Amino acid sequence: MKIVMKRTVLFMVGMVLLMVLVACGNSSSAVQKTEDGRIIVDFWYALGGNLGEAVEGMVNDFNESQSDIQVNAVYQGSYEESLTQLRQLAGTDDAPAVVQVFEVGTKYMIESGYIEPVQTFINEDNFDLSLLEENILSYYQVDGQLYSMPFNTSNAIMVYNKDMFREVGLDPENPPATFSEVRDAAKKISDYYGSSVDGFSVITNGWFTEQMIANQGGLYVDNDNGRSGEPTQALINGEEGQRWFQWLYDMKSDSSLGDYGRAWDDHRAAFLGETVAMYLDSTASLAGTVTNAEFEVGTAFLPTADGMDPQGVIVGGASIWMMTDIPKEVQEAAWEFMKFTSKPEVQAKWAASTGYFPITKEAYEHEVLINTYEEYPQFLTAVEQLQNTTLTAATQGALIGVFPEARERVVNAVESLYGGTDPIEAINRANEEINTELENYRRANQ
Amino acid sequence: MERGTDSATKYVNVKSLVDSETSVVPKTSSKAKNRMRKWKLFGEGMIYLFPAFLILGIFLFYPMIKTLYYSLFITNPRGETVVFVGLENFLTLMQSASFQNSMIQTFKFVLYTVPTGVFLALFLALIANEKVRGIEFFRVIFSSTLGVSVAAGASIWLFMFHPSLGVLNNLLQVFGLDSIGWLTSGEWALISVSITTVWMGIGFNFIIFLGGLQNISQELYESALIDGAGYFARLFKITIPLLSPTLFFVVTVTLINSFQSFGQIHILTGGGPNEATNLIVYSIYKEAFEFSRFGTASAQAIILFLFILLVTIIQFKVGEKKVHYQ
Repeated sequence: MKIVMKRTVLFMVGMVLLMVLVACGNSSSAVQKTEDGRIIVDFWYALGGNLGEAVEGMVNDFNESQSDIQVNAVYQGSYEESLTQLRQLAGTDDAPAVVQVFEVGTKYMIESGYIEPVQTFINEDNFDLSLLEENILSYYQVDGQLYSMPFNTSNAIMVYNKDMFREVGLDPENPPATFSEVRDAAKKISDYYGSSVDGFSVITNGWFTEQMIANQGGLYVDNDNGRSGEPTQALINGEEGQRWFQWLYDMKSDSSLGDYGRAWDDHRAAFLGETVAMYLDSTASLAGTVTNAEFEVGTAFLPTADGMDPQGVIVGGASIWMMTDIPKEVQEAAWEFMKFTSKPEVQAKWAASTGYFPITKEAYEHEVLINTYEEYPQFLTAVEQLQNTTLTAATQGALIGVFPEARERVVNAVESLYGGTDPIEAINRANEEINTELENYRRANQ
Repeated sequence: MERGTDSATKYVNVKSLVDSETSVVPKTSSKAKNRMRKWKLFGEGMIYLFPAFLILGIFLFYPMIKTLYYSLFITNPRGETVVFVGLENFLTLMQSASFQNSMIQTFKFVLYTVPTGVFLALFLALIANEKVRGIEFFRVIFSSTLGVSVAAGASIWLFMFHPSLGVLNNLLQVFGLDSIGWLTSGEWALISVSITTVWMGIGFNFIIFLGGLQNISQELYESALIDGAGYFARLFKITIPLLSPTLFFVVTVTLINSFQSFGQIHILTGGGPNEATNLIVYSIYKEAFEFSRFGTASAQAIILFLFILLVTIIQFKVGEKKVHYQ
């Protein structure tokens, strides 16, 4: 009896030890290789639809261009979903080697401790950064260091339906450029078609608020948009932000502003289905919109506040990051892939099939891009808008550790405005909430 | 269940019997020996319970204690506790308009979904319990949502609610009405999510109710018929009282499911617009996994736990008294 009991106890203790060992023994990570000896580099991306297809195409081109590295591209949902996923898996074996993170996640990623700055490899490899577009570099460089490789960059433009403009009696070649011109045009369209068509819509995403404030020269947070020091105060409720909210509110009161929610594709579907005549979108999906539309699509610069010179736009989009917890060999393989993505011919093909800008200046000289720009002059609007941008702290874009959270607050404010809240009250509240977020972030990172 | 405990006690009895017979006990130390044996027995019992305790400990008690621990801290983006703040997370939550809104919306959501879900399923079960030719077909239809996963169900509704392409808005336009922002307007979003939730829950509730109804003895109805009772008299005097254990079960399960709704919200609205559908579980998810604030998320989880505990206690104290067990 006693022996049996001893055995049982020993067995139990053994089981517990085994479980502990299994739980802790996962931290070593080896280089994974394919059957034919290629180093596997996992790459997470966050672009769906035809943009995702373009990413897969680029990765295939890379895999075919050499025989040492195999990049596995995995779609991880939207930028937000993909970052959420990364937060759970960073530091484990399931984390990728390279990950695409949206521009507002930059500061978070730098401070997260998950990543290896690409500057390390740029120095080792004497990679010539001057080949890249300055506007884009200026967004992603922090204290002179480049932490991630710019990947897909876009900016916000206004897209409109030229056929509807003609039908209503607006000049399709001369789109409205200021807040009040857009408001008048939207009203005219809504009055003409009745309730079945909305004159104007904006995707409910914080990105547009950032763009509209920057375009008027306003800052998002203090300390030069967080670039000269840790931000302490949100500044979105300055007169720039108030003008933008007031404008949306006015159009909502005119019943000429359609609300299609947070999903980018829902606005695009409404535009393609001719229930919206003008809307603000990212240039990213322009290729899809222009080719799928059964009408003539026009593009215009972002509208500006009345009587103001536009300051230009912030570079939007995402960059690709290298993780730090992976073997050196995999990092080097990942760096090869990153260099490949910035090649002029790769960038030219990428820009032509999506609507993003090439991050490499030389790409503009490649035939595939020249042809596309000739065929679809709509693409040029975004390029010109970027090149017209005055580089200031405002258009350089803010660096905030809690940027994703700040976006959520802004989105809530826009939605409450759509629900009838006073615009100034809404933006003040969002500003307060962002201040609390900044405060919490400082406390957690002291 | 009963048989299991029976044999277990038998086993223990036999063992102690064997033990006392084999050991020679000097009379002087019989008391101490007795105590020893009791401890030994206890230790042995603990060994048998050990696997269960181990699993419960790892997957239930440990996370619960960890949650409580986290709720007293501020965490950094990697989820490590940084600053001990005591009850500050709870106090901030109590004052936070956003959390109060979450609680109110959760209440409304429960109010919209539980009674409708239960009554609709009960109604469908009552008509599907009638003996009509081809009733099996309807039973399959009514219970079919049981086979639809949350993700698939919510996606179907997502397409129907689509602002410009959705069938609901297209129907409204056919009748010359203004389209509705099903998921984009603050007034409608919670209702839309509730409709989806009720629809998804109906299949399960229906099957449970139908099972309960078929268990009610036909003789009761026959004798009631002989006594000249009408349809509604039979419904309220026989069916409902005899169905009350099932009813109680369905209400409890629906209530808890409703408090814990997540998937359909994630797919349909993501908590928006302006937090109109940011129900408590979704709010916890967002705090913890999108914003990496495990401290406040844990505090919310603790509040939710206390809350569900309270509701369940009230339900058992008040509700179960009205239940008629045969």
